Amino acid sequence: MMRILIADDEKPARDRLRQLLDDLGNYEVVAEAANGQEAVTLAGETLPEIALLDIRMPGMDGIEAAHHLNALDNPPAVVFTTAYDEYAIDAFEARAIGYVLKPVRRGRLASALEHAAKLATSTLHDVAAASNLESRRKHVCARSHGQLKLIPVTDVNYFRADQKYVCVHHSQGQDLIDDSLAALEKEFAEDFVRIHRGAVVAVDKIERLEKTGDGKHHIVLRNETQNDDELAISRRHLADVRRRLKGG
Amino acid sequence: MAATPSSIDSVDPETQAYLPDFCAASTVFVVVIVAALVAIMLTLAGNEPPGRFLVELSKTSMFVLWLALVGCALMCVLRSRLQGAGKTRAFVVSFFVLLAMCLVLAEIAYQLTRYFAESVIIEDTHFGFLIRTVAISSIVIALAMRYLYVSSEWRRSIVLEAQARISALQALIRPHFLFNSMNTIASLTRTDPRQAEEAVEDLSDLLRANLGGSKDRTTLKQELEIAAIYQRIEKLRLGDRLRVRWNVADLPMRALIPSLTIQPLLENAIYHGIELLPDGGEVVVNGKRDDNDLVITMTNPVATGTERAKSGNKMAMSNIRQRFELAYGHHAAVDVDESGDAFSVSLRFPCDEG
Repeated sequence: MMRILIADDEKPARDRLRQLLDDLGNYEVVAEAANGQEAVTLAGETLPEIALLDIRMPGMDGIEAAHHLNALDNPPAVVFTTAYDEYAIDAFEARAIGYVLKPVRRGRLASALEHAAKLATSTLHDVAAASNLESRRKHVCARSHGQLKLIPVTDVNYFRADQKYVCVHHSQGQDLIDDSLAALEKEFAEDFVRIHRGAVVAVDKIERLEKTGDGKHHIVLRNETQNDDELAISRRHLADVRRRLKGG
Repeated sequence: MAATPSSIDSVDPETQAYLPDFCAASTVFVVVIVAALVAIMLTLAGNEPPGRFLVELSKTSMFVLWLALVGCALMCVLRSRLQGAGKTRAFVVSFFVLLAMCLVLAEIAYQLTRYFAESVIIEDTHFGFLIRTVAISSIVIALAMRYLYVSSEWRRSIVLEAQARISALQALIRPHFLFNSMNTIASLTRTDPRQAEEAVEDLSDLLRANLGGSKDRTTLKQELEIAAIYQRIEKLRLGDRLRVRWNVADLPMRALIPSLTIQPLLENAIYHGIELLPDGGEVVVNGKRDDNDLVITMTNPVATGTERAKSGNKMAMSNIRQRFELAYGHHAAVDVDESGDAFSVSLRFPCDEG
């Protein structure tokens, strides 16, 4: 039996997939999610082999959910479902990503499940860009005790490279994530700024710059007590940080 | 609706060609025919003795054709420059340019006949000839300009109407909605056949209302019924996430409204608002009477940070605006208010209880 996760914000659409999977046999629905966030959380608990993700879901869409699922040790293969997304479909075709169109046909679902493959993060970035969807994620995903934990990007104060991992400092604490600092800087360039080789900070969380006795600068965050050397600004990045703070 | 714009959408009737292409053979042919008719008319008016008629006709037509063909060539050159200017300006400029041309050509003709012709061709004083030429050509040119103006207005209204038709078509069947509904029905046929049956009936009513778009206006009662049917179908899909409050009891149900305006607005509110909220939300529709106007306002909550929803929404709004303009001219208003986490559209139009 293949373990399947279904994510769709519409109950009848989830029912439909369940009915067809029953017909096909050999598939077991281990979780049903009503949006992307639930899908990611439930996937961490139930460890499905295949995730059927609706693209258009409130809160977190299917593409972002697929992105976060990659943080699992054994990420599920992903098949997208959609009623009508011309651009996304073109992108899926071009990259041989599995998808089924609603109303879902049994035969089409069976072959998509057979050919379902794990998707690389870079592929998902491409698809989001090509299909005119928001390519910036609204969350970053951390693993804690085998579970996936979603941290809204708006809660993040800064990302700090910490040997092998990146540590995300957010309003609820700290977590380790798998993304590289360079990739994070690129993805969230609009709202974040690099302050030294190992740290990228949310611009709107910066209270002010402070000059220390030895002529160096460091950042003071709003509502955060952090140790001073952690957010020191390197000379190379100082001008850039100043420009961003002025809203440039 | 959010589908890609069709080509006719991009044709702005304001910038449509209002002057015909004078470089085209077909236009030149028409100009020649008109010139010949004018020549016949002028000769007939001259009341010549029978033997002189053909002689006079050939002289007159030679002169008229000479004016007409040069005028044609001039317009061929001028047209591309005039097209950029405003419509009225283009016509006024063309009129005076052509008139000046006639004056110059008449002078040339007069001088040529004096030097080269053996007998007297132009039996008139120099001044009299020029005055007559300018007077007659200004009347003919003015008539031609008026004709071209009216026919371009007529073409413009046809384009506007066609656009309104297409907008109406676009306003109705959003593929996203259609396919999702079909998926819902496919699902319900097993879990709740009775509801599936109702959904098929509702969907058919909705499509029928959409296809019968030949009616420009419908009663508020019918329009609200269509919106209610639409709401029922979406309710199956979205469940408790979709809530709609109709405060429309004050509206006169017999009043007329452009057909398919309320339902597309509700569709927008759901597609760009409710569907993107994990817990859904409430769409509020308020209708009231304000002197001789009716005002219908629809407000829906929106998820924060949904930038890309907006382009599709703008298109739907411009469709509705276009149709209101066609139906009421400047007596109607479509206002959009996007403030914070709510989106609100208000329609104001004259109350007509037909």
